[in-house]
Amino acid sequence: MKQFRAISIALIVCLLLTACAPILTAQPADSPIIVTDGLNRQVTLPAAAQKIVSLAPSNTEILYAIGAGSQIIGRDDFSNFPSQALELPSVGGSMSNYNLEEITRLEPDLVLAGGINTPEQVKALEDLGITVFFLANPVDLEDLFENLQTVALLTGQESEAEALVASLRQRVNAVESALEGVTERPSVFYELDGSDPARPWTAGPGSFTDYLITLAGGENIAAGLSGEWAQISQEELILQDPHIILLGDAAYGVTVEQVAARPGWDTLQAVRQQRVYPFDDDLVSRPGPRLVDGLVALARIFHPDLAGDLE
Amino acid sequence: MKKPLPPYWISLALLIAALLASVAIGSVTIPPVVLVNLLVARLGGSGLPTPESLQPFSTILFSLRLPRTALIALGGAALSCSGAAYQGLFRNPLADPYLIGVASGAGLGAVIAMSVRWSYTATGLLAVPLSAFAGALLTVFIVYQLARVRRVVPITNLILAGVAVSSFATALTSFWMINATGEVRRALVWLLGGAAMSGWQPVLAVLPYIILGTVILLTLGHALNVLQFGEEQAKQLGIESDRIRLAIVIAASLATAAAVSFAGLIGFVGLIVPHSVRLLWGVDHRRLLPLSILNGAAFLLLADVLARTIMAPQEIPVGIITALVGAPFFLWLLHRAKQQLLW
Repeated sequence: MKQFRAISIALIVCLLLTACAPILTAQPADSPIIVTDGLNRQVTLPAAAQKIVSLAPSNTEILYAIGAGSQIIGRDDFSNFPSQALELPSVGGSMSNYNLEEITRLEPDLVLAGGINTPEQVKALEDLGITVFFLANPVDLEDLFENLQTVALLTGQESEAEALVASLRQRVNAVESALEGVTERPSVFYELDGSDPARPWTAGPGSFTDYLITLAGGENIAAGLSGEWAQISQEELILQDPHIILLGDAAYGVTVEQVAARPGWDTLQAVRQQRVYPFDDDLVSRPGPRLVDGLVALARIFHPDLAGDLE
Repeated sequence: MKKPLPPYWISLALLIAALLASVAIGSVTIPPVVLVNLLVARLGGSGLPTPESLQPFSTILFSLRLPRTALIALGGAALSCSGAAYQGLFRNPLADPYLIGVASGAGLGAVIAMSVRWSYTATGLLAVPLSAFAGALLTVFIVYQLARVRRVVPITNLILAGVAVSSFATALTSFWMINATGEVRRALVWLLGGAAMSGWQPVLAVLPYIILGTVILLTLGHALNVLQFGEEQAKQLGIESDRIRLAIVIAASLATAAAVSFAGLIGFVGLIVPHSVRLLWGVDHRRLLPLSILNGAAFLLLADVLARTIMAPQEIPVGIITALVGAPFFLWLLHRAKQQLLW
């Protein structure tokens, strides 16, 4: 009899706990989420978004990083990281064209647009009765952390995002303190597209690549060009004679050997001293949490003695 | 001898088929039964609310496919009608609606507008089409003024001024694109003739200009016929070629500028549709212009269906399709006509 009572009490406690649990977690979801987006639009969600379509690779990476990966139901063509994203249905995005029919069919409760999207695209989706949040590109890493927290607010992942931001901040601080005593800043040429070796495309001022190169203790030789993406003449390249060449186009099959074989490039000190490195461009071009990975990777290349053992 | 089917009926049937295809085919498959039910419910005004499960289909149909179909049909009609009129006016088979600067002007206007970060307001959202429209009309105006010798505008001057100003505007566009940050891909897509829009606003915005332009052109069929004998003869037959020329330039520019402002620079339609109509049904402009309208709409609709499906779910700019499919078709038609010694 006593045993029965103990079991009943245990059962009741269990029931109470399970009954309480959803109430406790559902509490914040009851009030609508209102956030102003990058186009100065006030976006209102009745509750944390559970069916999200991401229109930019950076947004997809942010969502996964803050633990909202399972809340994504669609992604754009370019979202290839993390690899789970590839299993989601694509809603287009190549040639700036999104498949509006497919997005409508998926019935998302939130479409997360990014800096690569135009106000017209946001309007087109809004006119279809879809809630769109435009996440503006960050200008620096602090801004990126703010973006992470904004997305966390929309998806109900605040605590996870807080932990992520704390660890990212710690890694950025580690880079900064490692590079504190740097006096020699190597000059860097970052190649985006070298299909025409006489006029390769590079990352100019205003790009994340330029920002991160500087932050990682390097000097971007294209900092004086105009435009985020700019063509630099080979003559200027020879004149500047960078210490380091980074191949952001390595993913397209450009190799260190090919660069050395380009006519006239063998005179560059970076080629002669074998300081030409393939580089994962996604780490420095996508305004998502992997920018910090990019920063660390750059610092390790620029200052192997100071930052070589950073994670 | 069996009488051939009247061209109007063939063209109308083709247009209806193209309209149906454009509404029925898309990257999302809507079951035919659902499609018909939704259309009947909406058109019949039964007032019954759409069931929850069909809501996405209803949105896709009424906010995406129908307005897009209307916009594409209007664009195709405007471009081929203007093309037919220009070929007649300039008595040059290579003339197309972009000959005297509409396209390059619209392109420059659009690219300039794209390089500005507009605020999220009604004006900001319409900045690109408005700027393209204004750029197109302004360029044609400049060309017309440059070509004028006192009070007359010789045809040769008009063509040469058009080519020169177009090249200049195109160069400015390229220069602008290289210096602009970030928007290059978007500009490229626009210049290739592909821009996604939803809702009826764009349709309503271009409708008055396209109707005005094409109606004016339709009334000038007889005058264009007479102009084919040369300006002297036209004068003797009571046609004031100066005024006709101005009317055609204004009407065609209005219609073409409106057509490209939202949809982007769709090439080739204004060239091959009128020529195909000529090869099939003769050169009488009173018939050529309306038939070009019907077939231009049908051709662009079918090209758009291909653009939407050929690489689905990805969409490619419709301008690529019009040239890719249009050119071989046109060459086949030309070859056939040669065999029959009609050309």
